[in-house]
Order: sequence, then C-alpha cells, then structure tokens
Amino acid sequence: MEHRRKLFITLVLAITLLGSSCWDRRELDDLAIATAVGIDQAEDPNKLLMTVEIILPQNVSTPGGGGGQGPASLNIQSQGTTPFEAAKRLTFESDKRIYFAHNPVLIFSEEMAKKGILPAFDFFIRDPEPRRTAWMLVAEGKAQDLINVQTILDPITGLYIEQLIESTGAASQIATLMVQGFLERLMSPTTAPYCSIIRIKGKENNKSMELSGTAIFKKDKMVGKFDYKEGRGLLWVLGEVESGIITVPCEKEGNIGLEIIRADAKITPAIIDNTLKVIINITEEGNLGEQECPIDLTAPEAWQSLERKQAEAIRQEVLAAVKKAQELNADVFGFGEAFHRKYKALWKEQLKNNWDEFFPDLEVEVLVEAKLRRTGTTTKPAVPE
Amino acid sequence: MELERGKINNLHLTFLIIGFTFGSSVIISPGKGAGQDTWLAILAGLAEGLIFAWIFFTLAVKFPGKNIIQINEVVFGVFTGKVISLLYLWYFFHLGSLVLRNFGDFFTSLIYFQTPLVVIIGLTAILAASAVRNGIEVIARCSLVLVPITIFAFIFDTVFLLPETEITRLLPILELPPKDFLKSSHSAATFPFGETVAFLMITSSLNKNSISSMKKFALGGIIIAAIFFIMAAIRNAAVLGGTAEISLYPSYVAIQLIEVAEILSRLEVAVSFPIFIMGFLKISVLYYSAVVGSAQILGLRSYLPLVLPIGTIMVVLSITQFATAVENIIWATDIYPFYSLPFQLIFPLLALIAAIFKQSKAGAKKAGEAQ
Repeated sequence: MEHRRKLFITLVLAITLLGSSCWDRRELDDLAIATAVGIDQAEDPNKLLMTVEIILPQNVSTPGGGGGQGPASLNIQSQGTTPFEAAKRLTFESDKRIYFAHNPVLIFSEEMAKKGILPAFDFFIRDPEPRRTAWMLVAEGKAQDLINVQTILDPITGLYIEQLIESTGAASQIATLMVQGFLERLMSPTTAPYCSIIRIKGKENNKSMELSGTAIFKKDKMVGKFDYKEGRGLLWVLGEVESGIITVPCEKEGNIGLEIIRADAKITPAIIDNTLKVIINITEEGNLGEQECPIDLTAPEAWQSLERKQAEAIRQEVLAAVKKAQELNADVFGFGEAFHRKYKALWKEQLKNNWDEFFPDLEVEVLVEAKLRRTGTTTKPAVPE
Repeated sequence: MELERGKINNLHLTFLIIGFTFGSSVIISPGKGAGQDTWLAILAGLAEGLIFAWIFFTLAVKFPGKNIIQINEVVFGVFTGKVISLLYLWYFFHLGSLVLRNFGDFFTSLIYFQTPLVVIIGLTAILAASAVRNGIEVIARCSLVLVPITIFAFIFDTVFLLPETEITRLLPILELPPKDFLKSSHSAATFPFGETVAFLMITSSLNKNSISSMKKFALGGIIIAAIFFIMAAIRNAAVLGGTAEISLYPSYVAIQLIEVAEILSRLEVAVSFPIFIMGFLKISVLYYSAVVGSAQILGLRSYLPLVLPIGTIMVVLSITQFATAVENIIWATDIYPFYSLPFQLIFPLLALIAAIFKQSKAGAKKAGEAQ
C-alpha cells in the first residue's frame, strides 16, 4: 500500500513538473535576437516606424573558422501606433519571435526626439524584456537609414554602435546615457536628460557612422545639441571625464597636447546675498602628451605656466557648456538637484516649480585645479642642439 | 496527545525567523512610498515591529509549550478564546495565500509570462505541503540551509552593484512630510516584522532549555533580517534614485543593471531562485500554523488529514482574491497595515495584560491561602 502511494506521488510530481515546464520554454532557434532598435516617425503622423536589427546566427563567423556566407544580420520593419504594437507586428515579417532582452542600443530619430520621446519610451521601461542597460541615442536623420548601414568593423550594426559608445571615454567629448540613466533624469523635476547623437558618414556604397555630439533634452523633448567642446564641458562637471587631449597653444607657434589621466568634480550650491550661485571645483591630472614647438617645457616656470594654461582650457570648456545649457534652459548638470540636497526647504517652496526661471541666470563659478604629472618617455623636445 | 512531536532549538528559531521575515519582502521592498528615505522608514518600522514582537514573544515565554490557540483559551476563556483563535487561523491562512499570490505575480510578470498563475502557485503549495506534512523540525532545518544561500546571494549581488551606486542619491534625508513617513514606516512594521506573530504557533515546539532565552533569539532574528532590508533599501536608492519608486520590484530592477566586465550580467534570474526559497519558508510556516491551529481547535489527534484540504483552499483563495495586480497594490499599501493590527498588536497586548492580571490575582489568592 505504502509502496503504491509513493509511486503515485512520484508520478503526479513528474507529470506536473515536466508537463508544466512547456509554457514558457524559449528555444534559441525560435528566437530572433534584436541587436538594435530604431524608432522613426512613420508617414502617417499617428504611427511610428520600428526598425529592428536581428542576428542571423548561421552567418556569424566564429574564431575557429566556419560561419556563413551572407550578412550577419537582417533588418525588419513594422509600423504601429505604439512601439509595442509595432513590436508585435514584426512577426509578420519574421518567422521567429523577436527577443528584445539583449538589445544594446535604442535609437530615436531626431524628428521623434524633438517631438518628445515619452510616449514611445514607456514600453522600454515597463515591459520586462527590453533592458534598461541599452544605450540611448538620437540619430541625425532617420534611425532606419542608420541601422541599414553595413558596418565593416563589426558586421552587426547594433553591436558596432555599442562599441562606439563604450569607447567614447578615450576622448570624453560625447556624453552617453543608458535607458536607466535617461529615465532617472526624466523623472527629476529639474535635471535635463541627454544622450549621444549618431549620424551617417560617407555616401552611397561607402557609408559608415560616427558619433557627432550630445543631444540635450528638456523633459522628453530634444531642444539642442552640444558639440565636442561643450560635450566635454558637461562631462567635466559630471566628473565623468576618463581620458582625452587638451590642446593649448605654445608661446609662439604650434600646439601642445596634454593627456587627461584622471579628473573629478564637485558641485557646491550656495546662496550669496539672496542670489543662487553654483561653484564647480574640478581637479584634474594630466601628462605632457605631445608638443609641436621646440621649447623646453620641463623647466619649472614653463611647467607651471603650462599647468595654468591647462586649467584655463578646462575652464573655458565648462563655461561653454554652461552657457549653452543656460541658453537652452536645460539643467543637464543637475544644479537643481544640488540645491535640492542642500536647501531642502527653499527647494520645496520656491525652486522646485520655478527652476526654469532661476537656471538661465544662475551664477556659475568654475575653479580648476589642474596638475601635470609626467612627460612621457622623453623630456626635452627632439630638436638638434 | 500532542499534535507536533518535533522539537526545535533557539538557533533554528532565529534562522526560521530570518527566512520568514525575508519571505516576500525580498521581492516587494518594505517601506514603500518613502523614496530615498526608505531605509529610515524600515529602521523606524523595525522599532515599531520590535515592540509588537516583544509583546507576543513575552506572551510565549509566559506560557511555555503552549501555542496561541491554547494561550487564547487560558487567557480569554473557552468561548472568546476560540473566537479569537479562529480569527488568527484566518489570518495565518489568508497571509499564506497572499504570499503565494505575491510569488505567483512576481514570476508571471517577470519570467514566466505565459504560464498560468495556478501552476506556479500550485507547485509552490505542493512543495510547502510536503514540508508541512514533515513537521516543524524539517521546516526549521531547511531554514539552516536555505537562509545562508539567500544571504550569500544578497551579498554577492550587492557587491557587484557597488560600481553603480551613487551615495548622493540618498540625499536629502528626511524629506517626506512626517505623516507620509509614518505611513511608510508603519507599513514596514506590519509587513514583514509584525507578521512574525505566526511564530506563536511554533515557539510551543521549542525544547525545554530554549524557552527562557527564546525572546532574545527571536528578536535577534528580526533584527538580522532588518539589517539586510536596510542594506537593500540603501543599495536600491543609491542605484536607482527616483526610479526606485515607480518599480514594482526595485531589487530585481537594480540587479538587472549589474554589468561587470561583460561577463557578469543578467544575473536577475539567478538571484530569483534564492528569493523564491525564502518565499517557500514563509509559506510553509504560515501554512503549518493554519493547519496545526485548525487541528487544535477541532480537537483532532493528528493534523495530517488537514494538510491537503487547507492547502487546496489556500491556492484557490490566493488566485481568486485579486482579479488584477492593481487590487493587490491597493490592498498592500492602504488596507493591510490596518487589517493586520489586531493580530499583530491588539490581541497579543490584551492577552498579555489579561495574563499578568490573572497571574497577580492567582498570586494574591495563593498568598491569601498561605496566611
């Protein structure tokens, strides 16, 4: 009796456990893995056009040889009034279910970004499949054209763009943000979101792409653009400069390139004589990277003057970014939140709802402490004595 | 004849309480609504919850070897005691179904989109039923293995989230109006700290040497669990900032952001399973309390015949009680903090006062007889 009961329980468990596991099984060969998602305005003004790049695993070459002929990825498109509707309609064109969990880049066309991305953004936050670690981008022109570019260095366009973004630290002139970071700024009452801008370079059969600046948003609408100099100005304030070259002129002719090694920033809000003021302290360390002029810079006085020039160059970059941001009235630096942290009561009573009136006239003081550490493998310039 | 012959010691009790308190709170963070002050709300909630816990564990020490059903009968008399006991049975049973539902919702909305709710809840309940049939000793020993696994998983993902944290996101502190803060902290006190009142069905199984020092170990377990909640709340706020408040499962979203050297990423599914086993512990304890309590009140010789019927009703209730996830949210934030108060505070407090009163009366009577 006992024996039969045990057999019965085992059977019930085996059937329930094994039988039930079929609902959400997702076999790899039933999935089409999305590696880039682009959102454009469709011709119908009420609809949007979603372009998705999917991997063709059979054509992806492996290091041990093999891999196939033909392109490594395929672009498919669909229209819908919302992104989710468009995403579901992608299956009209694909025999596999589109799987968004590994998507590395989310690209909005400039037109969409200027109209406001919030309506299209919710799906990428709410749905459990797309991840918030995807990079946010604005495409100059149409997102679909960008995704259609056949990239050479990495045959999968989305992964190529991801690599472009992840290596921006080398120059630190373009600010990048993931969906999560964008969302956090979007939810702040004062801080403005930003993301990188990407555009097509070259024509016809020789197309490639490049990051061309930083898109500045006000709430969910793109209002302007930071160029490379302003982009680094923003990164200085955020303390996110990783590396890059600061160019300063020599005494007479030629330039000196100073390599940034590390940098940090501190924002201190203050209220002086009833006016709001922000003090930005930036500390930086650099190396002498290159010089075009034949002067010995290693002499103590020349070295100190070079440090001062370096600090001034950084200051100018920051001021350029601040000026542009104040013109656009978009607080990308998070000055508002800095006041929020320090002046809780004032924030709640006055600043929170009227920040747009305070920010353009905000007095900003930039203090830079820049050090030069090393000279590379040479000391004096390579000139005949 | 005793319903439960298994015996546990104080170490078991501490681990079981840690696991129970983790329970569904590892997916739904306690102290919701307090933004970056969530950790402070949990701290304040812990203080309130410890007062509740002190009251009902003091009651347990006063009546060694007796569970809440027996205590109610001694303190309130047979009839009133039975009525209150029935209410308690409902509470354990209902709470068990709520926890089942929370786990069902968690898995169906994040991982198993197509799987019917009843399958996830039913399988969990079968697992818990097997634990309940085996008695408290087995559940308690499970916790010795399962709780360290969860703590390890917690430390693991917290360490890997450190690069994403920014401590300025925790500022400014104490921004909420006091009323909203108290609402959050009270909600943290009733979920999960005050829910340990279910252990009044379990402390009766403590071995004789453990009873006198039980309070220390029980409150210790609650405090240890609270420390992890506070760390999780600080971590989530420092990683997610303002976006934590719109997330249904903030810890899950935070863990999704882990990206270490492109290899350690997408860890959330791996972390969901230690989370699930804590839910199993909590469900088992509540299920066990409901079953043993029912057997007690009905005067049965064994609680085993009740395991499957009660479990089945529990599964049905957990599915039918909310038609939508929105109802669950409204229930958890607006109603539950007050619904649970009688069970967590009022009845134990009345029982304790009555017990002290009776004791002093009995003491006076004894003293009178001695003269």
